[in-house]
Amino acid sequence: MGDKDDRSPKKKKGAKDMDDLKKEVPITEHKMSIEEVCRKFQTDIVQGLTNAKAAEYLIRDGPNALTPPPTTPEWVKFCRQLFGGFSILLWTGAILCFLAYAIQAATEDDPAGDNLYLGIVLTAVVVITGCFSYFQEAKSSKIMESFKNMVPQQALVIREGEKVQINAEEVVGGDLVEVKGGDRIPADIRVVSAHGCKVDNSSLTGESEPQSRSPDCTHDNPLETRNVAFFSTNCVEGTARGIVICTGDRTVMGRIATLTSGLETGKTPIAKEIEHFIHIITGVAVFLGVTFFILAIILGYSWLEAVIFLIGIIVANVPEGLLATVTVCLTLTAKRMAKKNCLVKNLEAVETLGSTSTICSDKTGTLTQNRMTVAHMWFDNQIHEADTTEDQSGASFDKTSATWQALSRVAGLCNRAQFKAGQDALPILKRDVAGDASESALLKCIELSCGSVRAMRDRNKKVAEIPFNSTNKYQLSVHETEDTNDNRYLLVMKGAPERILDRCSTILVQGKEQPMDEELKESFQNAYMELGGLGERVLGFCHMMLPEDQYPKGFAFDTDDVNFQTDNLCFVGLMSMIDPPRAAVPDAVGKCRSAGIKVIMVTGDHPITAKAIAKGVGIISEGNETVEDIAARLNIPVSQVNPRDAKACVIHGTDLKDLSQDQMDDILRNHTEIVFARTSPQQKLIIVEGCQRLGAIVAVTGDGVNDSPALKKADIGVAMGISGSDVSKQAADMILLDDNFASIVTGVEEGRLIFDNLKKSIAYTLTSNIPEITPFLLFIIVNIPLPLGTITILCIDLGTDMVPAISLAYETAESDIMKRQPRNPFRDKLVNERLISIAYGQIGMIQALGGFFAYFVILAENGFLPSRLVGIRLNWDDRSVNDLEDSYGQQWTYEQRKIVEFTCHTAFFVSIVVVQWADVIICKTRRNSVFQQGMRNKILIFGLFEETALAAFLSYCPGMDVALRMYPLKPSWWFCAFPYSFLIFVYDEVRKLLLRRNPGGWVERETYY
Amino acid sequence: METILLFLSSLLVCVAAVADPSAQDGKETVENPFIYDYESLRIGGLVLAVVLFTLGILLILSRRCRCSINQKLRPPGDEEAQDENQIVSTATPAVKETPAEN
Repeated sequence: MGDKDDRSPKKKKGAKDMDDLKKEVPITEHKMSIEEVCRKFQTDIVQGLTNAKAAEYLIRDGPNALTPPPTTPEWVKFCRQLFGGFSILLWTGAILCFLAYAIQAATEDDPAGDNLYLGIVLTAVVVITGCFSYFQEAKSSKIMESFKNMVPQQALVIREGEKVQINAEEVVGGDLVEVKGGDRIPADIRVVSAHGCKVDNSSLTGESEPQSRSPDCTHDNPLETRNVAFFSTNCVEGTARGIVICTGDRTVMGRIATLTSGLETGKTPIAKEIEHFIHIITGVAVFLGVTFFILAIILGYSWLEAVIFLIGIIVANVPEGLLATVTVCLTLTAKRMAKKNCLVKNLEAVETLGSTSTICSDKTGTLTQNRMTVAHMWFDNQIHEADTTEDQSGASFDKTSATWQALSRVAGLCNRAQFKAGQDALPILKRDVAGDASESALLKCIELSCGSVRAMRDRNKKVAEIPFNSTNKYQLSVHETEDTNDNRYLLVMKGAPERILDRCSTILVQGKEQPMDEELKESFQNAYMELGGLGERVLGFCHMMLPEDQYPKGFAFDTDDVNFQTDNLCFVGLMSMIDPPRAAVPDAVGKCRSAGIKVIMVTGDHPITAKAIAKGVGIISEGNETVEDIAARLNIPVSQVNPRDAKACVIHGTDLKDLSQDQMDDILRNHTEIVFARTSPQQKLIIVEGCQRLGAIVAVTGDGVNDSPALKKADIGVAMGISGSDVSKQAADMILLDDNFASIVTGVEEGRLIFDNLKKSIAYTLTSNIPEITPFLLFIIVNIPLPLGTITILCIDLGTDMVPAISLAYETAESDIMKRQPRNPFRDKLVNERLISIAYGQIGMIQALGGFFAYFVILAENGFLPSRLVGIRLNWDDRSVNDLEDSYGQQWTYEQRKIVEFTCHTAFFVSIVVVQWADVIICKTRRNSVFQQGMRNKILIFGLFEETALAAFLSYCPGMDVALRMYPLKPSWWFCAFPYSFLIFVYDEVRKLLLRRNPGGWVERETYY
Repeated sequence: METILLFLSSLLVCVAAVADPSAQDGKETVENPFIYDYESLRIGGLVLAVVLFTLGILLILSRRCRCSINQKLRPPGDEEAQDENQIVSTATPAVKETPAEN
């Protein structure tokens, strides 16, 4: 399968192994005779291995257990949190700060500590946020640990002719093992003898029906043949004896697990977005830095001073609080999703579902309930629909017909399944049943509609029974009748419909026996075809009151040499069973559709069943046809149909094998509704890679081991928490704790919401960067006293701005986010130029004006008119100048000047808080007016109160003048920025109004972020 | 919501009104604008901070309370309805077989 080009060439050997693993299973033992297998493993078909040999093999092959996937050491995980993504930006900032301080310390006698403090604070922020997200993820991985099944498996092996119970880990190749119903198969085994053995392969192949096992090779493909049973699948019933052919990682299951853990996964979409954001921010920072570096040189500053300025400007562009904000926002969403039963293993995966454009879903256990249920019945010449919903809320059918009475009696009596003891308190559908899947389905159906089957069986004592076998294809039993006066025997039979029909001469209609005529036969055929076409397994039922004269009371029925009548019976009806879709799935699929997400079914099950379920849940929507359907409708060969006409398609795994990459892309691109049936785990992986190649962000849902490579490779793998296998949960990024596919819709919704809200948070946080940088720029260019200091900047970024920025994560959606298309990862970026233009170029500039207004007002009130300030810097900052005159000729000492300067810092800080009020309110929405959105976000209002309280506290708390050099402000100074705050609000409301009025117009193109 | 906003704005006006005359008093008694009654300013500011802080906390707490009350009052609320169904289904499994999904 040609997809070697995307493997990284750096690990040649590893890549080769992976390609090898992607190929189909190399088992050949199923084609060998039993003797050949025995010879190969030097074992004996009766005696088994000798203990010595077994010990030797054990040393050679290692224990029969899957190597656990290489776990990343805790410190590596921790470091990844510390140095991943956004943290890099802050680290760079911190290092630059230390560098600047080092330069200052080396050149000046009394260096300002600002850069040192800033560096330390930046480091602290990164470390604290790193720890926070590390512990968040550790918490969810702890929940993961709890899933692990710690019970050691046992296996019954025959060694030196004796049966011994050993740990499954000690089983070696060549061992003769015995399995019985309920056991887990200890290794891959070649069956040498079997008695009614059936295995449940659903976790490996996705087939929902148990498969029978026998010693004969029935298929070239080891996965399809009947004589191989696979490691860690379950034996449902019967017994079998076999020779172990593979153990541990060499088993089919082991290969899948190894393939899974060997896959490398790409970056999450949000990580890519953050990277893009860092590029933009760095670009702006470096641009500003270099520009002012050159300006500073031109203005005559020394080289070292210019370098300090350069570093200062670059660092000032680093949004210190954003890392924490983003982490907290993602954590909040993760918590919200966990409450809705979506457990997210990796914080970044929270958003991924929101970006998802394709969902590849497994069928068995994910879309369906993974239990056979009676879906339809045919009696009285009519198809009746049974209730398949999980909570029995569906429609019921007419149960009054006498034929139904007869049918239910046959289905209840001719049935060997029974409820396991001690479950009377449980609802019927939840009870465990001992027996075959379809018989259990019948049992549950009859128990639900007719009451206790056990009582029915007690009333009709079983006299004789012929169990089902594959040559007869029927099962029959003979019972006494309920009526004690009636001494006749009742013969009931079920089996393959055509075989049953052959044995019938009459048919029951409305409780009356009628001769079977051609018309009724045809109607039977039609019903049989229709139900079969729905992908359902159909069983036929018939009965017969044996005449008393031939079979008197006490007649000895011989089941080996049948001594009674088994033909000329009376046909009663058909019942068909399917693994029905989960109740919430069709709705969820519909919602995904309307959200522009393509839902693809990828299953190991047969195409007919897959297609039926796909139609049932809406993956193939009503009215859409496959190529085969069109061909059948138009009565032309499949080859003549234009594949473009068919929106839907069902592709068989064997066909998939022969497809080239281009053909594959073609299918994925041109069909909207695709079902892949009979796919191997490797093919599932190839399908996911195909979708990703086309630029889709792929989510995979699945529960089985066969899904796990695809789960791992997908952008986000979603595993089932209850029914899912350990391997699949390990490989997944998200786990649906309640197995409810509908939770995926929640995930998409939350993911899209957090993406929008992160945009808002980032826009809000970035805006205050401009009023923080411009003071420094003007300080350099026009030599005014510094309007805003490092400490106050930190107070904004890490203090007052934090809660409002986080509160934006609680913002509700502006429009129905489930009605729009998924974002295009190439076009719709988290942070784009328009966002930067709004934040930096427009709102930020107004904010800076507000801040400077307050700054100039205070200095003017103190006597320094703006004209006096320009060029005053050198004297202002000179400790030895203690008689600096202001505009009115008053003389100021150094200490007095500094108090005024720091009061200005405080006023600038408070002004930024005031303009950020307006900013957070305008950032609530991107398109709607605030009046449409409302102020229902309580956290945001809390944020407004808290930031104001914090600002007042910082300004007025006694001792702040010493600690942070913040001084109390006169009340009037608080109001300096109010007009600017109002201006911001009006400006943005007008912008949004224009944006709404002219959709697609200039305003939208240039300012909609 | 609006009431709280109204309250906030009226509070700000009050503080301003209280603070302004004191500032004027200061100017009348002391000519020098550098000697200012920072003591009462600090107290006023801190009181404002504390009031805002408590208001904010109250807001968050009221959110919780109001929500839970609302949920109890709302008869067919989503989560509530589900809970009720579950209670019914567990309480009367023998009478009416309504199990949730398995």
